[in-house]
Amino acid sequence: MDYPIWNLGLGGGVLIGIVAIAHVLVSHFAIGGGFAIAAIETLAVRRRNPAMRALAKRSSLMLILVSTVFGAISGVGIWVTIGLVQPAATSALIHNYVWGWAAEWGFFILEVATALIYYATWEKVKPRTHLLIIWLYFFAAYMSLVIIQGILSFMLTPGRWLETHSFWDGIFNPGYLPGLVLRTGICLLLAGAYLTLAAGREPDVPVRARMVRLLAVFQVVGALLAYAGYRWWEFALPGSVKAIFLGSKPLLAALASTRHLVLWALAAYLLVALFALAAPRFHRWPTAVAAMLVAFAFFGGFERLREGARKPFVIRDFMFSNGIRVSEIADLNQRGVLAKALWAARGSAASIEAKGRAVFRAECESCHTVDGYLSIRALVAPVDPDMLKGILSALHEEGKEYATGKYSHQGHVATEKLDYPLMPPLVGTDEEQEALAAYLLTLKPSHVAEASHVN
Amino acid sequence: MSTSLIPALDPAPLPGPPWLFQVLWVLTFFIHLLFVNTALGGTLLAAFAGAAGAGRREVRSFFVEVNSWGISFAITFGIAPLLFMQVLLGRFFYTATILVGWAWFGMLVLLTVGYYLNYVAKFRLRAGKDAAAVVVLEAACFVAIAGIQVTVNLLHLQPGRWEQVADRAWAALGDPSFLPRFLHFVLAAVAMAGALAAFVAVRRAARGGDAHSLQGMARFGVKAALIATLLQLVDGFWLLLSMPEDVLRAFMRGGAATMAPLGIGILAGVLLLVVLAQISDPLAQATKVRRVAELIVGAMVFMIVTRHELRDVYLARARAGEQVTVAPQWGPLALFLVVFVLCVGLTIYALVRAAKERPSPGEEAA
Repeated sequence: MDYPIWNLGLGGGVLIGIVAIAHVLVSHFAIGGGFAIAAIETLAVRRRNPAMRALAKRSSLMLILVSTVFGAISGVGIWVTIGLVQPAATSALIHNYVWGWAAEWGFFILEVATALIYYATWEKVKPRTHLLIIWLYFFAAYMSLVIIQGILSFMLTPGRWLETHSFWDGIFNPGYLPGLVLRTGICLLLAGAYLTLAAGREPDVPVRARMVRLLAVFQVVGALLAYAGYRWWEFALPGSVKAIFLGSKPLLAALASTRHLVLWALAAYLLVALFALAAPRFHRWPTAVAAMLVAFAFFGGFERLREGARKPFVIRDFMFSNGIRVSEIADLNQRGVLAKALWAARGSAASIEAKGRAVFRAECESCHTVDGYLSIRALVAPVDPDMLKGILSALHEEGKEYATGKYSHQGHVATEKLDYPLMPPLVGTDEEQEALAAYLLTLKPSHVAEASHVN
Repeated sequence: MSTSLIPALDPAPLPGPPWLFQVLWVLTFFIHLLFVNTALGGTLLAAFAGAAGAGRREVRSFFVEVNSWGISFAITFGIAPLLFMQVLLGRFFYTATILVGWAWFGMLVLLTVGYYLNYVAKFRLRAGKDAAAVVVLEAACFVAIAGIQVTVNLLHLQPGRWEQVADRAWAALGDPSFLPRFLHFVLAAVAMAGALAAFVAVRRAARGGDAHSLQGMARFGVKAALIATLLQLVDGFWLLLSMPEDVLRAFMRGGAATMAPLGIGILAGVLLLVVLAQISDPLAQATKVRRVAELIVGAMVFMIVTRHELRDVYLARARAGEQVTVAPQWGPLALFLVVFVLCVGLTIYALVRAAKERPSPGEEAA
């Protein structure tokens, strides 16, 4: 809110989602792929199996191109994107977890170096040395997940951190272990799906069938781990988060549908993996591609679910999606939101509508655009002036619920009991609230028609 | 200077002493810059080298091969200074990036395209095909990234310019320091890459490589470094004079703390020019070629310190009265240090094992 707002027609959250999903797909593949290649090459050395060795070698170029090129760039891409769209939340996370990220960076150095050494030393070093390098790669890649999972899950389930502000309480939050199990499964199922495609190039049918069966074990184990981790993750969520997408009447129907997609995609993946286990000769590229696609659907859907379940927060119970902290509601109600949102307030003195537009920019524009994503014009179209004032007053009143709620590791406020559980409260003075209403009314089609008529 | 639009300081305390973040920032930025200069300067040299002439193809192949991993390390070592800088100056940095949001985001696209083009060039060169157009495109991507970085850098230093840029994003390029600073950055990269090419050619020749082509590679590197350093000396003074007067005055009044690193950096540059001018036969003057590499790295160190101090001068007024609270997280800091030492140690261990444990003739290889 203190920062300028980057205007995006598609919504900042959507852009973060696109970059983040691309990165997590790649980074989880890089971990699972590392493990699968290490395991396959180990078996190849022990059994003196040239076909398995060839599979490990074939897959290693993809590992390099994905992990050290796209993985590195998209990782920086997340930094770039969250800094542009959610600078206040990024700053809060950096101040709490800079040493965690720095430790992850240490593992990333090892990961990149060993990936490059591994690819460059095919045919050039002794087999055991080569194995040492790929196992070091896997160690580094997995350890970076062990750290980053703490920060990722913190944003949805900060747990005791809300009371203690301790680094360790934040990292080892209630969602940490379930998420780690889930992500470990995802790493395996993504790697299994890709390596099966690579194994399809083996011309010898019995050899190919043995490799496909071996990879199917990775896939089945991955799917089962992912399922167990997912269920555990759901169980660990506070009630107000569960209410968003679980139960007979979820607050956000679209997110409940995403959950169904996630579970069905995982079930479909498991079925294909079992098919590969039972009939590896018939598991060719069409079914392998199908497995890959449902794996993407499962993982992408889960990430969408995890992001969506944070509503109306960016860091649950600490900071709303518009960058306002729970702790500053009372102060902003007294001083006015525009006293802090200096960028949004530029030009707000011209008229009451201009002031309202500034309040909109400060509090609403991080999620709503005027005519694009979550269009505010479309939302206010059916609302009459009295109803609009009523909605804004209710949103303002809800701020008091947040301001007076007590922190606990089970969650701060029972958001599901609020009238607008997915929206941040409206913060600011009465005058700002009236200005916002005046501005929003200018967006109604009837107002635009009147203005055209007068002109 | 209007400072009313500067976002408030993050209320969370700094998780470590400020000096530690400064040290880590400068240290990791130095390593980052070594790889950045190799990627940017090397790609430019590969683009300019052409394929005709002794050693030109070697220059192109060398940088394309090195950059296939060097760019990865440039990115990897860019993460750490980005982290430490955000802890100290996040509110200035985020604002600057948002004001040129699409360019800042577009940098990712340029980086992805540039890096994959390098792989295309690598595989084409290995197959004996021409890669000139690919390398030129790659160089264009990296030059554009350098321009974006310089823009954001200058913008985060000058809150007084933010409002103007918010109204018209292209105004970000209107800073009188933009062009000399951008050239300063690009010329330094070319000089370092030239010195690296010459250094590698001398080493390869000492190991029995083809003297004719390696002489060509070394000469090309020395010539590139010489021209870039010559231009750098002119551009350096242009950069100084293009800075806002109050900033320049404050910097000059900083005494030994600000003037010594700058003076030593300039002196290293002049010495570099003298040594480069003395090299007529690089393969026979290996010591001088090594001296060039040492002087360039030395100049970089002092210029990075100068750049860091200059930032403080630029931001002095905007940060006046800044009340930073510090609550060190000693446990997580220890975790970072242990992980860092362990990972650097394991990286060296893997490199040594990979270099030493080559299979004997007849022995099985991986």
